[in-house]
Amino acid sequence: MDLDFTPQDDALRSEMRAWLETNVPAEQRPAEVVAAGQYDRDWQRRLYDGGWAGINWPKEYGGRGLTAVQQMIWFEECARANAPAMNSMLIALMHGGPTLIARGSESQKAFHLPRILKGEAVWCQGFSEPGAGSDLAAITTRGRVEGDELVVTGQKMWTSFGHWADYQELLVRTDPGSQRQKGLTWVICDMKLPGIDIKPVLSMSGEHHVNMVFYDDVRIPLENVVGAVGEGWSVAMSTLAFERGTAFLADQVELAHKIERAIALAKKTRLENGRLAIEDDEIKHRLARIKADTMAIRAMTILGFSRIERANMPGPEGSMLKLFVTTTYKALSELTAEIAGWTFFEYGDNRQTNRMTYDFMWSWVLTIAAGSSEIQHEIIADRVLELPRAR
Amino acid sequence: MNVDLLPGADEEEIARAAADYLAGELPVTRCHQSGADIFDPSKRSEIAGLGWFGLSLSEAHGGVGLSAVEEIMLFREAGRYLAPLSLITNALAAHVAAGQDDTALLSSVLNGEAQVALATVEPGNDALLRLFDWKGASLVLHVESDRAALHSFSEGMVAPVDCLDKTISMGTVPAASLTMLVERKDARPMQMAMLNMAAMLLGLAEAELDMIVAYAKIRHTFGRPIGAYQAVRHPCADMAVRCEAARAQLYAAAVSLRDGHSDAAAQVAAAKLLANTAAVKNADSNIQLHGGIAVTMEHDAHLYMKRAHLLSRLLGSDRVLLDDMIDAKLAA
Repeated sequence: MDLDFTPQDDALRSEMRAWLETNVPAEQRPAEVVAAGQYDRDWQRRLYDGGWAGINWPKEYGGRGLTAVQQMIWFEECARANAPAMNSMLIALMHGGPTLIARGSESQKAFHLPRILKGEAVWCQGFSEPGAGSDLAAITTRGRVEGDELVVTGQKMWTSFGHWADYQELLVRTDPGSQRQKGLTWVICDMKLPGIDIKPVLSMSGEHHVNMVFYDDVRIPLENVVGAVGEGWSVAMSTLAFERGTAFLADQVELAHKIERAIALAKKTRLENGRLAIEDDEIKHRLARIKADTMAIRAMTILGFSRIERANMPGPEGSMLKLFVTTTYKALSELTAEIAGWTFFEYGDNRQTNRMTYDFMWSWVLTIAAGSSEIQHEIIADRVLELPRAR
Repeated sequence: MNVDLLPGADEEEIARAAADYLAGELPVTRCHQSGADIFDPSKRSEIAGLGWFGLSLSEAHGGVGLSAVEEIMLFREAGRYLAPLSLITNALAAHVAAGQDDTALLSSVLNGEAQVALATVEPGNDALLRLFDWKGASLVLHVESDRAALHSFSEGMVAPVDCLDKTISMGTVPAASLTMLVERKDARPMQMAMLNMAAMLLGLAEAELDMIVAYAKIRHTFGRPIGAYQAVRHPCADMAVRCEAARAQLYAAAVSLRDGHSDAAAQVAAAKLLANTAAVKNADSNIQLHGGIAVTMEHDAHLYMKRAHLLSRLLGSDRVLLDDMIDAKLAA
């Protein structure tokens, strides 16, 4: 049991801090969608020029090849410097790119990986469907092989940034009689292809973030298939082997800053009864409990890295962290809303008007996306506790 | 030099050896018998021989020369087996006595000749101390945030009070009736006490989880094991999450205390807070999910519930810890 950062880690932290101090843009991410997308790409380009693109990618693919602990240091320094989040670059950097590294052909890697690192290509995910969310293996969007093309028909749902993405990691059913995980294919879909129709879905926050994507005989070259036709499930799962307990690292680290901001807010905000919020014992104790929980999140994060390092494979314990992080985020959002009083309601349907209110609504995205809290409970019951199967 | 919070092989070995001893010599079944609040002096002497009272004490003082990290591995197992609270107070008393030059006092604590009771000041009445594990004890340890003192006392001065937890003797004594032997004026004893208490509480929380998971696999209702129902599975998962959070924070706190990190006090306080929550809430879930069988005296569930509530109030109750947490400065 040790918490000793190596001299290399300490030196890296200093290097990161210095770079971020001079490179984090002064201007906030714009509200308008096209400008916001450009902002994300510009930040990615700056990271690339500074040598910080793809911190989790192996060096041979142009990444920085940082260890899990060093990635944590990176996100701690980003949070400290208030650096932009990955936003629309997230799927490309954390999912699409890593999948290509694990299973892509040489030509797929050569074409796509540099474009992702330089911020030239935004990716979106095409996994979820109206009838396949938590139960991903239930997808029905069809892909039929015709000559050297895969012809796709169906619908995807909750496609984040689909409206400005260049490419999509698309999972389709290529064997019509297949069930569940069998008969699926993972393919790179160019979002400009004819037959793709994107319809916005407004989130409760007022922002246009997710979309419905309809496919009507969309013809995708077979050479865009990653792995082989029919191997889609294993390709989709291949990022797991790449994952080092770092998928939600930015959120985990950010929480430690959010709680300090909430404490600062409580120290200057007056309640209906005229008292400062921090002088209210109930509010003070809820804040304190969340602060202790954020400390535990850092410890759980490091414990998770340590386990993965020994097993060389992520285990089901990650579900305990996801559940704890998202529950804590939600508790903090609710408490901050309460402390803020009427200003909580001062909101103009985009995050720039009131970040605190936006975060309150975003908390449901965290507890539902990437395996809802209910699914995480099931994973823990099955794989950590080995209880009898419910299904 | 590394960042790795998992226990190493040597640290795991401490826990394994402790569990082996406790399972054989102080099994949980003893807690159902009368006199469970008396620590058999011969067992105490055996345990002293295993080095448990001097585990983190330097070899120069007659200890084993290990650290806070090994101690939590030990006391977590002690928690699982509902072992005497005075295991913690004896180990702590050794550190207080070692600060002085009273070698006779130190050796009586280390060799288990003396049992050390734990004292807390009665709220609203500074003249009265409440004692725990005093039956058979000849010394009393009183730990506060910035000092710790070891006193001699006689059992005859104690007004015994029946304790909800029948494995721990409770009583009150006038503060003036104690004779102070040694005193240490720094924050470290409280931090060590809090950390070790957090370890015991984690042991309770984990035992509570293990108990219900084992039962959920064998108890059937409506033709299925209850562990196949989501109404049972999901609260079990919540219990596991509480254990995982408390465990990770306990490890981090132990390392920060051992290595003298600037935020060790806050890390230890957070560890106690999370362990309080895990032990108390898991005790509730364990009973609830078991159903009727768990509200009976013959079942173990109530033993853990009673112990969890008592330990969660000692050496850092939620209220005290939360009051200090807000302004705690963190290193990272």
